[in-house]
Amino acid sequence: MMSFTITGEDVDIAQLCDGLRHPGSGGFCSFEGWVRNNNEGREVSGLEYEAYTELAIAEGERIVAEAMDRYGVLAARGIHRVGNLKIGDIAVWIGVSAAHRDEAFRACRYIIDEIKHRLPIWKKEHYLAGDTAWVACSHTERAHEMEPPYRHGQHEGYSHTHEHYHGSGTPVAFTPDYSRQTRLIDIGDVGQAKLMASRVLVIGAGGLGCPVISYLAAAGVGTLGIVDGDVLDASNLHRQVMYDARDVGQRKVDLAARRITALNPTIAVLAYAEPLHAGNITDVFAQYDLVVECTDDLASRYLANDAAVLTGTPLILASVYQYEGQLQVVSSIPGEPCLRCLWPVQPAPGLAGSCVESGVLGPVPGVLGTMQAMEALKLLLGLPSAGDHALQLVNLLDGSSQRLPIDAASGCALHGGCVEVARRAVDVAQGHLDIDRLFDRLHDAIAAGYAIIDVREPGEIAVQPLPVNALCVPAGLVPEGTTEAIEGRVLLVCASGKRSSHAARLLRQRGIDAYSLAGGLTALHHGLDA
Amino acid sequence: MIEVTLQYYAQLREQAGVSSELVSTRAANLRELYDELSMRHGFSLPIDALKVAVNAQFSDWNRMLGEGDTIVFIPPVAGG
Repeated sequence: MMSFTITGEDVDIAQLCDGLRHPGSGGFCSFEGWVRNNNEGREVSGLEYEAYTELAIAEGERIVAEAMDRYGVLAARGIHRVGNLKIGDIAVWIGVSAAHRDEAFRACRYIIDEIKHRLPIWKKEHYLAGDTAWVACSHTERAHEMEPPYRHGQHEGYSHTHEHYHGSGTPVAFTPDYSRQTRLIDIGDVGQAKLMASRVLVIGAGGLGCPVISYLAAAGVGTLGIVDGDVLDASNLHRQVMYDARDVGQRKVDLAARRITALNPTIAVLAYAEPLHAGNITDVFAQYDLVVECTDDLASRYLANDAAVLTGTPLILASVYQYEGQLQVVSSIPGEPCLRCLWPVQPAPGLAGSCVESGVLGPVPGVLGTMQAMEALKLLLGLPSAGDHALQLVNLLDGSSQRLPIDAASGCALHGGCVEVARRAVDVAQGHLDIDRLFDRLHDAIAAGYAIIDVREPGEIAVQPLPVNALCVPAGLVPEGTTEAIEGRVLLVCASGKRSSHAARLLRQRGIDAYSLAGGLTALHHGLDA
Repeated sequence: MIEVTLQYYAQLREQAGVSSELVSTRAANLRELYDELSMRHGFSLPIDALKVAVNAQFSDWNRMLGEGDTIVFIPPVAGG
């Protein structure tokens, strides 16, 4: 029997399980991937999988063989569906049987992670709104990359002792020694256990993020999530001291995960290689006890604030400018102030100073990030003055520092409270996300019930006319144009999707159910011919 | 004339060329004071993009100046 198959039929689990029975097996573990009714905030009605079948089978068999070899399991099988699937259908099934449960769990996890990462399988989501989108299946983290080399047949139990390899390749046991911090009377073993059980999300692995991630990992925070969509640039190295010259060009999220796994192999790392957005941020925050915001991006900071308030997650904000910085802890406790209590709306781009335009000296984010790590540990450990709501200003040229208490009563409280303000802001951000629609052809959009509005200039339309009936309203005329002729759901199109997206937002404000063709006409799969 | 101590942060410090100064002013309130300073130092930030604190407390821009006040102007910063 083949160890990996691709099928267009429903998966028969009972038969698959039977095939894995083995007299020497004391543990069986399976994983089922189901089709769910939503993805990234959109309602999904079904899925379509396409595979490069020959290659997928060959690679799938290789993955199963790797797992059996790596973890020493007795039998393993995987199966992946292709074709049309409805909500609740099994899309992928993995089963592993082994002498002991530990190998079975790990091998199962390995197989599913590698399948998602390596197999030439593409997923198309069908949305309730009528449109569809191809979704990348490969942006998964692989848990086994973060674990020390695993040798089967060895049972470590659940102590904090793990193994890692020095450069020489000699395995050495590593047991973290937290004695210098547990000696502190407010911490002790109880505090250390709290840290080990804690889950912290760090957004941004740059100048602020480097000290935050390093100190939290070193202190033994049990689970660290790291979000960063950037690759390392040589101009980052003067302040992002977790990285070195050989790392330039690589994804920071991978570098950071590798670095802290080396620093403290006993903690779990989850890497997010795409920035969070309004559609997924509250779901992600809900999985963490605390979030530390370390980006240089105001929009990210405001979105993080809103998600923190909505999920009741404490948030530690900091930002730097040249030789100074600001720090604010948002406790997310009702009645205590948030970022918007101080700065109600995001300042226009250009008003807030940034490192790129104004420069920054390396130790400045180093100090502010270290202060963020300190605040995080204070909150996790329940140390005195944790979550104290004040804006802290630090000037590292003259060594001065000020704490300015923030008065919650004069902030969001005047506009319905932090939660209400945050909900409105996230709704607006989600609305922006919700405006883009992806289609292979304009005919598909029409079949899905959209009327087309072409917002290009007459000159552009003359060069490249649409193959379907469309109302032509140049984007510049949308603000004052009459909307009487517009009925029902409309899809605005332009060359790149920028003008149509902006115009769709304007029409939304006038009560029209407007959408924008994502990527514009250039992104249509079949061009303008079909 | 009232004498107050001013502290500047970020872009304001840069544009003023100092991080703090002692000034004598006829301005009645914080808003007038910032307008006066904007003329002198060429501050580019509008008042509604800023926070102001007096004697280590955030304050309203209409607050009257008091002799010996320490006034801090705080712009938003984005670097990380």
